[in-house]
Amino acid sequence: MKTTVAMRPGFAGRALAATLLAGATLFGGAAHAADDVSGEITVWSWNVAAAALQAVVPAFNKEYPNVKVTVQDLGNQPVYDRGLAGCAAGGTDMPDVYSVENGEAEVFWNRFPECFSDLKTMSADEGALLAKFPAFKLTELTVGDKVYALPWDSGPAVVFYRRDLYEAAGVDPATIVTWDDFIEAGKKVIAKAGGNTKFVSTNGDTSWFRMLANQAGCAYFDEKGESITIGQPGCVQALETIKKINDAGLFMSGNWDETLTAIKANALASAVYGGWYEGSIRGNAPDQSGKWGVFKLPAFEKGGNQTANIGGSALAIPASSKNPKAALAFVNFANGRPDSQITQLKASGLVPTLPEAVNDPFVKEEQPYWGGQRIWEVVLGTLPDIKPSRGTQYFAEADSLVSAAYTNFLKGQGGSAQAVLDDAANQIASATGLPIAGK
Amino acid sequence: MTTLPEMRTTFARPAGGSGRWGSILLTAVMTPLALLWLAPLALMLLFATLPDSSIFSPTLPAPGTHFFANVAALAGSANFLRALGNSVMIGLIYTVLSVLLTSMAGYAFARFEFVGKNVLFSLLVATLTVPYAVVVIPQYILIARELGLSNTWVALIVPPLFNSLGVLFMRQSFGGLPQELLDAARVDGAGEWRIFFTIAMPLVRPAIAALSIILFLASWNSYLWPLLVGTTPGARTAPVALGSLIGLNVVPWGALMAGATLMTLPMVVVFVFLQRYFVAGITAGAVK
Amino acid sequence: MAATISPSVTTSRPARAGRGKPIDRQWSVPYRFLLPYLIVFAIFWLWPLIDSFLLSFQNTRVNPWTVDVAVNWRRLWVDQAFHAALRNTLIVLVLQVPIMLALATAIALALDSPKLAARPLFRFAFFAPIVVSDVAYSVVFRLLFNGQYGAVNQALTAIGLPALDWLHDPTWMMATIIIAVTWRWTGYNAIIILAGLQTIPKDLYEAAAIDGAGAWRRFRHITLPLLKPVIVFALVLSVIGTMQLFTEPWLITDAQSSGVSIEMLGTYLFKQGFRNLNFGYASAIAYTIAAMAAAMAAFNLLLARRSPT
Repeated sequence: MKTTVAMRPGFAGRALAATLLAGATLFGGAAHAADDVSGEITVWSWNVAAAALQAVVPAFNKEYPNVKVTVQDLGNQPVYDRGLAGCAAGGTDMPDVYSVENGEAEVFWNRFPECFSDLKTMSADEGALLAKFPAFKLTELTVGDKVYALPWDSGPAVVFYRRDLYEAAGVDPATIVTWDDFIEAGKKVIAKAGGNTKFVSTNGDTSWFRMLANQAGCAYFDEKGESITIGQPGCVQALETIKKINDAGLFMSGNWDETLTAIKANALASAVYGGWYEGSIRGNAPDQSGKWGVFKLPAFEKGGNQTANIGGSALAIPASSKNPKAALAFVNFANGRPDSQITQLKASGLVPTLPEAVNDPFVKEEQPYWGGQRIWEVVLGTLPDIKPSRGTQYFAEADSLVSAAYTNFLKGQGGSAQAVLDDAANQIASATGLPIAGK
Repeated sequence: MTTLPEMRTTFARPAGGSGRWGSILLTAVMTPLALLWLAPLALMLLFATLPDSSIFSPTLPAPGTHFFANVAALAGSANFLRALGNSVMIGLIYTVLSVLLTSMAGYAFARFEFVGKNVLFSLLVATLTVPYAVVVIPQYILIARELGLSNTWVALIVPPLFNSLGVLFMRQSFGGLPQELLDAARVDGAGEWRIFFTIAMPLVRPAIAALSIILFLASWNSYLWPLLVGTTPGARTAPVALGSLIGLNVVPWGALMAGATLMTLPMVVVFVFLQRYFVAGITAGAVK
Repeated sequence: MAATISPSVTTSRPARAGRGKPIDRQWSVPYRFLLPYLIVFAIFWLWPLIDSFLLSFQNTRVNPWTVDVAVNWRRLWVDQAFHAALRNTLIVLVLQVPIMLALATAIALALDSPKLAARPLFRFAFFAPIVVSDVAYSVVFRLLFNGQYGAVNQALTAIGLPALDWLHDPTWMMATIIIAVTWRWTGYNAIIILAGLQTIPKDLYEAAAIDGAGAWRRFRHITLPLLKPVIVFALVLSVIGTMQLFTEPWLITDAQSSGVSIEMLGTYLFKQGFRNLNFGYASAIAYTIAAMAAAMAAFNLLLARRSPT
């Protein structure tokens, strides 16, 4: 329709066409634009996040029927590695939509500013959409006034627990208010359960440390990403608490796969992770429906902070994408609309960050898998109190250094928690060139 | 030397009655060791035939019938069969090219005198002491970044063509050829290339066979380089595809064992029949 | 003269007939044979060797790279992660290589002995691992040594021993890697040593037996000294291999995800070079590996030369 008008020769014709086009965009332009948007796009993601995106595709295709979406589950680390390699090679072998964890994202925008597109330049309305998201999600996705990715989910941490195992030991989760309570409860639960049932998994990485440190208001780097704060009191307290849990014999040391296997085998009584772990438990142990529940993180002392964030990702569009319009349409659809975010919540337990989604009635529903508990009320209720933390472009290196120190400390080496963290701070300083806070 | 150095397989009967006891003792000591050595491969085969739930069971299960189901699981996520195909193609092309290049080089060193021969040869031998780690980084920069050749046949085949041991081996083999044979051909007017291909190469067939096997094995098993330059699912080789399964949400152990079996069993079968070629290739540099 | 004359080569009569290599061939002929290989050598080996050296003096964390002679080398000195990787690698080296070579020698001796029955079966058992891919056996060992349901722990608990945390505890991770590498390479080294054994003339043993030397003395004074070059060769190869060990720690432990793992020089180099894309630092690490391997090789060769047979 528009094209035939535009083909009429002459200035008048062109002016008419331009006016009509402008009008089409201003008034209900989205419907027409949806027909324009076509082609194939590839999306890289991992695990349940990929499943969540896949769940959004049917609704997306109702509105954008000409776009073929292929969601590839490559695994968390490979997506990161290939993204880095692709950017380093000048933008080759990149998908149209790229999943990136908030904490790991800054390395991309800082080292390869040309690799991803500034979302604000891709559409006039993008700025308005971005402004809806909470600030703590946007910090790590922004450089100057360029925003490189659309926020996706966040990872408010809670304790997932087996109701039946706790009940058998006579433990009421409502009484678990501090980490000391947690330890006492843990001893009772595994004593009663017997066998090789463990209370909770280490997750095989630094997530415990990062969660508890965040809970205490501490992180590897300060909020501006300008100095190293891992030696601060909050982090020390976190590390000492983890050591106590370790020394009480409550930990099962296992990585992602081993932890899920233990859960499936009824060998694990709890899990401490971000809200997004809900989908993993539910998806991997469907036969345990009704036996699980959640409660808020125990605090360090009575009345203390019971919130933390671990994980949370965003969707970016590589500059080398051959189909940026379709990519942007998908990204905005999946993350920028409350109903899509709820779809993802239902599919995989991805915690929405759009305020409108947070207020969706589904959040107040009872979840049968979780024994009828309104888990999302609990999980999302922690959002307002979460303290922000900054990944910076050095996150991967710092995490690698911390991982080694953390493992050794739990084995009893390296001295006190303060000494170990000061040492880690020095190592991070020499690896990154950033100063240590307070020095 | 136109024949392979053979490993002695027959022995004279030991003298004296103590031979019998010594034999029993030796065999008794070696048997548990050998069983221990066979265990990993045997268990790999066993687990490849079982579903994941049986693999985790506390008692040793009997072989199952799950093998093809496990292989089917591979086909989906890791596109393993495609990767196997890649490994075969790359291995064959690489072996042919590498044998050609190292034979030509070995022939040059063995049968000619020329300016710079000693310098070049010493350089070649010196490269044996330099670890791969030193050259892999610039190789990657050159291929992946500067030339943009990631995920191409060229990237996967050409850089590993460098192989000093192969040159040494072929030089040794060609060195044993009788000069008169080659000279007679020259007198008859044959060109150098014809002499090389129609006279020299056929005479060292056993050596070529040994070298080919060793080279194919090296290419088949190679991991680091294909990991770096074969990243897209379509360009992966079998080891890379197999290794990528470790990072999955839930590791499909049965499928992993099936994949490991598919990679290993053919080579083991080849080994059983062509053992002396493997041995010849391995001992090439060791015993001068 | 014959009808077929290759246009690119002039055929001339050899300077003298009979054995020996004629020197007055056109000089370009050998180079024609050598050229393809030399090209590959120059582009993919010689140039990278030099480039790596140059890279180690550059700061590759900034965009664009700048020349900074000391940044990487100084960092090696203070980088605790590098020291940890070095320490782990050296521990594995010092433990694994001697154990493996001793085992390989013992197996070679056994295989060489006329007293061994069912020799082909034993050969198969020990030699088969040489055709197994690093990746294939790494994933198998990862399964076998799994803490919860691996065969090794199940065997241990079956005989009353405690299950060990093979894949997450630093000490036991190292043990797992040592066991794995030993399993994979003992057969290979046994082949080499066996070949060496078989070059020792049997009459030496007979002469010594006639002189009244027992088996152990024959071994110490004939076998070992004559085996020394072969063992040293195997030793040097093993050292170079272990210094760069990558696939096993990468796949058996969680080195590739940022989980608990054994950091070794090979994995550390990979992470610095191909994850952090810090090529300069990775090159410095690579050259350090090379220097250490060369020093150890030289040391071993010196030792071998020291004690004459």
